[in-house]
Amino acid sequence: MNTPVLTAHALTKRYGTHPALTEATLDIPAGRIVGLVGPNGAGKSTLLALAAGLIRPTSGHIEVLGRKPAADAEQLARVGFVAQDTPVYAGLSVADHLKLGEHLNPTWDKQFAADRIKQIGLDPAKQAGRLSGGQRAQLALTIAAAKRPELLIFDEPVAALDPLARRAFLQNLMEFVAEIDVSVILSSHLISDVERVCDHLIILAESRVQVAGEIDDLTAGHYRLVAPRGTLTDLPDGVDLIAADHTDRQTTLIVHNTNPTPLAISGAEPIGLEDMVLTYLHRAEGTTAPTLEETRA
Amino acid sequence: MIWLTWRQMRAQTLWTAGLVAAVAAYLLYLGTDIRGAYRTDITDCTARCDDAAHAFGDQFGSSLLMIGLLLLAGPALIGAFWGAPLITRELENGTHRLVWNQSVTRKRWLAVKLVVVGGVAVLFTGVLSLLLTWAASPYDKLIDSRFEPLTFAARDLAPFGYALLAFTLGLVVGVLARKTLVAMAVTLLVFVAFQLLMANVLRPHFAEPVTETIAWADANTVGQIDSFGTGPQGTGIQEYDISGAWVMSDYIVVHKGDGTEFTETDLDACDVQGDNPDDCMIAHDATFDVTYQPADRYWTFQRIELATAVGLAALLAGIAFWRIPRGLN
Repeated sequence: MNTPVLTAHALTKRYGTHPALTEATLDIPAGRIVGLVGPNGAGKSTLLALAAGLIRPTSGHIEVLGRKPAADAEQLARVGFVAQDTPVYAGLSVADHLKLGEHLNPTWDKQFAADRIKQIGLDPAKQAGRLSGGQRAQLALTIAAAKRPELLIFDEPVAALDPLARRAFLQNLMEFVAEIDVSVILSSHLISDVERVCDHLIILAESRVQVAGEIDDLTAGHYRLVAPRGTLTDLPDGVDLIAADHTDRQTTLIVHNTNPTPLAISGAEPIGLEDMVLTYLHRAEGTTAPTLEETRA
Repeated sequence: MIWLTWRQMRAQTLWTAGLVAAVAAYLLYLGTDIRGAYRTDITDCTARCDDAAHAFGDQFGSSLLMIGLLLLAGPALIGAFWGAPLITRELENGTHRLVWNQSVTRKRWLAVKLVVVGGVAVLFTGVLSLLLTWAASPYDKLIDSRFEPLTFAARDLAPFGYALLAFTLGLVVGVLARKTLVAMAVTLLVFVAFQLLMANVLRPHFAEPVTETIAWADANTVGQIDSFGTGPQGTGIQEYDISGAWVMSDYIVVHKGDGTEFTETDLDACDVQGDNPDDCMIAHDATFDVTYQPADRYWTFQRIELATAVGLAALLAGIAFWRIPRGLN
């Protein structure tokens, strides 16, 4: 399982002139639970649909598990995908959906599917259209997981769920991911979801990848620097400025240290995941890059 | 995939099968009835046979026409109600994102839908077409105008092609329009337009028609003059029938032996003489040109009609097969 789960190079998708995803370059190692965060409309669904092969890129390349997405039946069998709003056939029963999975997937794990349905407490005879949002998500998840893929992709699986159902769903997800040894990419606009379950993070905003990496590396590499105004005029090599806030008396910087050694600047303190994400999202919204010394008129 | 396709179409198929069975039962009854009446009115006829034949025609004409119309409308309805929603409903409910991520390629998914649902559509229409052809055959033999547009398109092979074409059209319009109601409306419009185009523009040119110069003396042995006289278009034959053939000319100018047109004055002169008008015409060496598709071209035309529809359906299916793997979001 050393093939990267997903590699993308300058991956771009445009709808007409509207950019949905711009020049995304990614390399996600196997065996991770990857969180894809960003505001609505950032391009999360586009990236995941490209990974699942539902749409084709306008330009650039993407490979999933070393191959073109949805290239053939074999490749489809390796990737499980649960779309946003977890679509199911409203007129078909839960049992029909399992049968569907069985007929359409040579690698279908019947026992696993039956056990999960029992465990979640779904009535096999119930029509899928009458399930609650949480139950529907569980059904969709079961179908995607029971084909025993190497990679599971979830597009906002918990967006429609209330906080309790969301927690239960993620808990359940964690459990069976450990059980069946699968890589996962899931998107969410809630950082807390991602923080709870993921070990790898991609921040997407304004159709661009802002930053991507292991969550531990990212949180360890981002610092907040607070210093009297005018004293921070230069940053060491390999330290990127992400955000700068200047008041009359002091300057606050958020920086990303890409060096392997810890940042040796006094007053540098690590920032939490949420602050880091928000900083990137905020930066993506801004039109001008942050400067060390803000010039004032 | 076949299981899922069947599971999704089960309700509509059973429902339609019920309708088809009802019409089929009626056709069996009608066919038997027609055969009985044909025997007594035509085969065993001894006196006033023309009247009996007329009565026979009147008795069954409208029933057969109604079923014929149903068979013409059937494919359009199949296109709108089976073809168009086949993909759009998946798109509207988002279920394509579920099914496209099972271990079945979209091409296979589409192929199974096309073959299974399209196959059932063709089967249903075909069964009705053959039954109607059987039921109507004594009537059609008597009336002897199988090229009549409403008859031609509702007998033998033509309905098979129409069903396949309408279904594929609906599917492809659905793929392009992505909205069920829009796709249904467009499918209906386009298909009806196609049927009209086929009957009025394309079918007459399936083969180069034959033009024959007929001497007046032979006029009623080669075919039959419906009416001859002076009308809004001038003096000429208003309608000429050749048994089983498709006469293209609906107003025919008559020429005299010297090559000039037979005019109203000539006609009046013939009338004044009071002789048998035909003798007068023959005395003028009157001839006229008739353009028509001979009766023995019927099966060639049926095959061309079928091939045209199947060819167009294949072309449309090609569009769907090209479009769907590229994604529809």
